[in-house]
Amino acid sequence: MMKILLAEDEKEMSRAVVAVLSANGFEVDAAYDGLEALSLAKQNAYDAMIFDIMMPGMDGLTAVRQLRETGDVTPVIFLTAKSELDDKVEGLDAGADDYLTKPFAMKELLARVRSMTRRKGEYLNKSITVGGVTLKTDVGELSAENAVRLAGKEVKLMEFFMRSPGKVFTTEEIFAHVWQDEPDQSPDIVWVYISYLRTKLRSIYADISIAGSEGESFFLSIDKVG
Amino acid sequence: METIYGEFKQAIESVERGFLTRMEAMDKGYFAQTGEHLYEHISARIKTDESMRQKCKNRNLPETAYSALVELKDAIGVRIVCSFIDDIYEIIERIRQFENCRIIEEKDYIRHTKPNGYRSYHLILEMMGEFADVCGNRPGRFYVEVQLRTIVMDSWAALEHKMKYKKDIKNQEMIEAELKRCADELASCDLSMQTIRELIRNSD
Repeated sequence: MMKILLAEDEKEMSRAVVAVLSANGFEVDAAYDGLEALSLAKQNAYDAMIFDIMMPGMDGLTAVRQLRETGDVTPVIFLTAKSELDDKVEGLDAGADDYLTKPFAMKELLARVRSMTRRKGEYLNKSITVGGVTLKTDVGELSAENAVRLAGKEVKLMEFFMRSPGKVFTTEEIFAHVWQDEPDQSPDIVWVYISYLRTKLRSIYADISIAGSEGESFFLSIDKVG
Repeated sequence: METIYGEFKQAIESVERGFLTRMEAMDKGYFAQTGEHLYEHISARIKTDESMRQKCKNRNLPETAYSALVELKDAIGVRIVCSFIDDIYEIIERIRQFENCRIIEEKDYIRHTKPNGYRSYHLILEMMGEFADVCGNRPGRFYVEVQLRTIVMDSWAALEHKMKYKKDIKNQEMIEAELKRCADELASCDLSMQTIRELIRNSD
């Protein structure tokens, strides 16, 4: 069951939201101020969080900012009584994923919660298949007829190609995307890693291959059978 | 008690020696040509009397020289351990050219990895020996089981072998899954090392 944290100081409003979410299959923890919400968020794993902006103790913006600083990436929706643009912008900049202006329809709140929890599920879907080849990006397993485990950068490079089959990339583009965190590395490394992937694709009898020559452009090609 | 191999013990020892000599000559020739060795090491063994008799029992075969030398084909076992995967296939092609020697069975567990992660290439050879065989043929026919693998596959197999005979392993399923993962990671390293060798050779 999906678990949701609701931080809302108006008791009436809180009860109503809890009732609707529970009726729709969500488990809800209710907090009535920012500090309480922050401490619950630190103790439990939620699938989504709903924060009112104006709350006693600690306001919603500060609470979410602090949560994001601890590395928490749970989807957050802000509820705001004000419909001013600055509030919306400040909320999103604080680390929220979405916002709703009071008064809102419960139907819309439910739809936004569903949308956010669904999107999180998609992000967690760590498996890509092209042709007969599957890459599990979380564990680095590349498999077709046989399986091998790829190293970190190999996974990133393979994923890069598998996300855009047939699309042509220059060595520089590939380097910029996959080695962005290693500015001291030379773009020559691209050829070395493409060579690794080619050997490994062959070893699992893959029906896809990386076409192109050293220093030039490359693309993922799906090989015709027979 | 007489060994299960009876009067043929000497013959199979001679076939074993003969095969090793041919392999050493193969490597020497390759080294003279390329400056590189085809394999890291090679070892051979005659299956002990005890384990051959046990194998006959397991297969419901009478404990005779015929069972040990004709029905079962691993009385002579050779293991060849290479640095690179390509070397394994190179050696197999060269064994294919041996005279008085025929490959009667081959299993490529490198391509068709066993579910537990085991990788190796297995061959069964039928070799002509100067001695008579158990069927009265002269020259006789003798079988040799050859396992070819990389150093990396060899160390994995050694670890897996140790685990196989341990009883009551905690979290057995998890350990098996981890061994499989480890085998796939090692296979990946084998392929990376081979690629590096190719990159170096191509840049010469």
